[in-house]
Amino acid sequence: MGGRIIFACAIVAAVAATSAGARPSATPGVSATEIHLGSSVPLSGEAAIAGNVARGIDAYFKYVNDKGGVFGRKLTLTYLDDGYDPGRAVNNTIRLIQQEQVLAVFSSLGTSNNLAVRKLLNDAKVPQLYVSSGATTFGRDYKKYPWTIGYIPPYSEEGELYGRYVVKNVKKPKIAVLYQNDDYGRDLLAGLKRGLGARAKSIVASVGYDPTSADVQPQVTQLKASKANVLMVFAFGKFSLQAFNAVSRLAWKPQIFVNDVSSASALMAIVPQKAANGSISIVFGKDPAAPLWRNDKGIKLFQSILKKYGSSVNSRDLQDGYFTAGMATAYTMVDTLRKAGKNLTRQSVMNAATHLNEKGNPFVLPGIVIRTTPSSRFPLTQVRLQRWSNNSWHPFGKLISAKP
Amino acid sequence: MVVAAFTWTEFAQQLAAGIREGAIYAGLALAIVIIYRSTRVINFAQGEMATFTTFIAWSLMNHGLSFWTAFPIVLAIAFTGGVAIERIVIRPVEDAPVLTIVIVTLGLALLLNGLTSVIWGGANRQFHGPFSTRTIDVAGVPVSVQDIGIVLVSIGLVAVLALFFRFTKVGLALRAAAVNPDSSRLVGIRVGWTFALGWGIAAVLGAVAGMMIAPVVFLDPNMMQTILLYAFAAAVLGGLDSPLGAVVGGILLGVTITLLGRYVGFLGSTLKLPAALMLILIVLLVRPSGLFGRVAVRRV
Amino acid sequence: MRSRLWIGLAGFAVLALVIAALPRFISDFRARELAIVGMYFIALLGLSVLTGYSGQISLGHGAFMAIGGYTTAVLSVDGIYGHQIRDLWTIPIAGMVAGVAGLLVGLPALRLSGLYLALITFGIAVSLPQLPKKFDQFLGGTTGKILNLAKPPFGLATTANNWIYYLTWGIALVLLVAAWLLVGSKAGRALKAVRDSEVAATSSGVSLATYKTLAFGISAFYAGIAGSLYAIANAYVNPDVFPIILSVYLVVGLAVGGLESLVGLIAGAGLIYFLQNHADSVAGWINHLPVFNLDPKQPGIPSMIFGVVLIVVMLLVPTGVGGLVRRAFGPLTSRLYTRS
Repeated sequence: MGGRIIFACAIVAAVAATSAGARPSATPGVSATEIHLGSSVPLSGEAAIAGNVARGIDAYFKYVNDKGGVFGRKLTLTYLDDGYDPGRAVNNTIRLIQQEQVLAVFSSLGTSNNLAVRKLLNDAKVPQLYVSSGATTFGRDYKKYPWTIGYIPPYSEEGELYGRYVVKNVKKPKIAVLYQNDDYGRDLLAGLKRGLGARAKSIVASVGYDPTSADVQPQVTQLKASKANVLMVFAFGKFSLQAFNAVSRLAWKPQIFVNDVSSASALMAIVPQKAANGSISIVFGKDPAAPLWRNDKGIKLFQSILKKYGSSVNSRDLQDGYFTAGMATAYTMVDTLRKAGKNLTRQSVMNAATHLNEKGNPFVLPGIVIRTTPSSRFPLTQVRLQRWSNNSWHPFGKLISAKP
Repeated sequence: MVVAAFTWTEFAQQLAAGIREGAIYAGLALAIVIIYRSTRVINFAQGEMATFTTFIAWSLMNHGLSFWTAFPIVLAIAFTGGVAIERIVIRPVEDAPVLTIVIVTLGLALLLNGLTSVIWGGANRQFHGPFSTRTIDVAGVPVSVQDIGIVLVSIGLVAVLALFFRFTKVGLALRAAAVNPDSSRLVGIRVGWTFALGWGIAAVLGAVAGMMIAPVVFLDPNMMQTILLYAFAAAVLGGLDSPLGAVVGGILLGVTITLLGRYVGFLGSTLKLPAALMLILIVLLVRPSGLFGRVAVRRV
Repeated sequence: MRSRLWIGLAGFAVLALVIAALPRFISDFRARELAIVGMYFIALLGLSVLTGYSGQISLGHGAFMAIGGYTTAVLSVDGIYGHQIRDLWTIPIAGMVAGVAGLLVGLPALRLSGLYLALITFGIAVSLPQLPKKFDQFLGGTTGKILNLAKPPFGLATTANNWIYYLTWGIALVLLVAAWLLVGSKAGRALKAVRDSEVAATSSGVSLATYKTLAFGISAFYAGIAGSLYAIANAYVNPDVFPIILSVYLVVGLAVGGLESLVGLIAGAGLIYFLQNHADSVAGWINHLPVFNLDPKQPGIPSMIFGVVLIVVMLLVPTGVGGLVRRAFGPLTSRLYTRS
């Protein structure tokens, strides 16, 4: 018994010895030579493919460091895996603030994830920047959460755009909606209803699914039975794939709208093309898999950065839009840090983030201006519609506003 | 939630979907029961073993083989793998408390899941099954050929297994070793190898289940996780030591859950798992060893 | 015999002193981590009452932690008729709600034995997370509930993390003493009798039903308290905060740490926490070996490491710590082989 106690004390001592107590500094995460940022993203599990956003950011930061960094400081990104699980995101974020002592947390992914950590970040006065989620609340509720700002176009606006398109372009629409039964899916649905306006009754069936479902075919079967001619797929990852599969197997041919987050070319390419062709979505970034941008300078830069600075990158990744989205966010982050000045504090970073006027981000559609003010915290509000055919996305029409 | 009204066509389609889901649960449940019957172990790694072998099938097909060429190769690999796992990982703890063995199978599940991610990455993949995705008309209801194929394959498997256990010497040896290992040894049965055989057969069943379901739900490392939970439920429902129970339990569960989820609005898709649990709990209260399980009487 | 008791008490006192003094020497964040280890320890303490002393296997104790955590969340965020309840006071309430749930589970559990019981409790662990998603108005759904951050009460001059550390280990001490008294009492002897042989116990007049159900209730109470503390420390609950795998980890921690061994339970709790949160550093250590060159960020590596560790530990352990395990589970395995 005594021996076991000694053994236990030895372990405890080892634990104590290995805890590096971080030295508190004037501004955490900033030294003369380094800027330390943190992020919590899914690197495993259902949403792992979206974790490539962080890998894109990492590569871009290394590129910027090679060119001297920001005012001589090198950028470091510590990104932790949360498996798309808000509980783990909370743990990661606490670790980022308390152990890693980062300057700011940015581009963390997931609506529920970012909601879960918003209060604790704001209480600790740590910037929660460029949230990788389109939930409207991140840009709208700044009075309560002044340290938070979103990035990608809001989901409810996206839904609204689809609604308006249907009203203008589909005769006698009968709309069926498959949506993920959480804030993310419901935001899209609410936006759709707004966009339909007086024609909201055209929604003849809407079915939610739980992310723990094995397969959404039963839901799609139910939607088909409503005899709708338009289908909104407000899903995520493999559930989008299953939805297309089910549509094809049920021999149903509605006009399909698929939401931006599920519209990655890599996913669209593996579903039955009979069902996928003609699908409509929105886009704000340059899709490296689209023939339209094959010779574009921005995409060429993207691919050269990824090849040189990316870790464990394969040839498929060079066509992966998630990496591009990451670089777009990183570009904005570097822009923000430059604006925040040499005397870098959390407050100065926040000020810079709420006074953006960024043109010329090489990774988003030409003509997009990333603009924010302290009371309008939606950086990306311009998109184009795009249609899937011949195994790739083809944008059509002009830039339209998705501003709430 | 706005739901469409009831139509017989849709009901038939939901029923068909339920039977197809149930067939998959039955396949995996059968694997669980085989292992339980022959080695008294609950194999938590059953789903991951199935996913792993399905990925192997995918790789083979990616290199140009057709499904039916790859099929027997994958089954052979699965069988060998199952036997190897039993001999290498399970055998050292054969005599350990049940809980220890359960934890070993859990570790195995984690290991296989991680290995699958490392080798093939986490992205979803299209898996081209042997059945076409056409739909045919059955009495006015569009039914997918794929679904029919899945159900037929499952029934075929069960039939082959039933014959094997009933009419072959090896099958008899397996059953004997499971019931009474000591007496079996006295009669000359190599009990250790019958255990390994049980695992091999279960691995094959899992591989088939995986290859049947992957075309429908898309292949990724976590494909089998939810399905495994339903398979456990089906195995418990039918009785852990009854292969017939596993199949009946699987189909029953698949149909009930699909129909309940669609027609009982309150349940929706969120409460399908709890509904399954309630169903099984009620059955177990009435028949504590499942529908077809044999009761271990221990009157106190 | 007397000297054994004194040595045991002395060892215990040393351990308590070490735990009390530790926060002075470690970083703030590390204190938080050790606090979470303490929460797992409390849950394991309860589970050891159930499995070690009454011989019933539960693969669902994560669900009782969830019940405790959600009780605290609902009471401190929504409160009763709008009156928010201070997080501290919710802890015993959370424990009791979980305890009642445990009694309710214990009742039908009487009909089930061995693996059927394990699988049904597993089914509970699987099903319970669905309830907050269904009743999302009240329970927050997948978005979850966000609590107020933990603050030391009465304006004590200490950090939030240190406060959580002392709160957790203080409660752990109290609960440990309670468990110790229970085990030594008449109820405890009855539980041990049930574990060792149900037939003998009943013929000696021990009411099986009462004690087995009671064991479930007590262990659930402990788990509920652990869950409540976790909700307070994290200031967030949602169904995935207490996932299915947590119930499995608890059983793993118990088996590896060993029942009837205080230090073993702490070690088990530490193992659970470590493997969950620091699998990537294990990858780092392995890379020091010549052959390996693992990328700790690559998804799948942490799972593989966790899996291998579990297998290896279980292969090594069955005779060591497992000696105790066997004594506890021996009667259980013989029951599984019973035929009518």
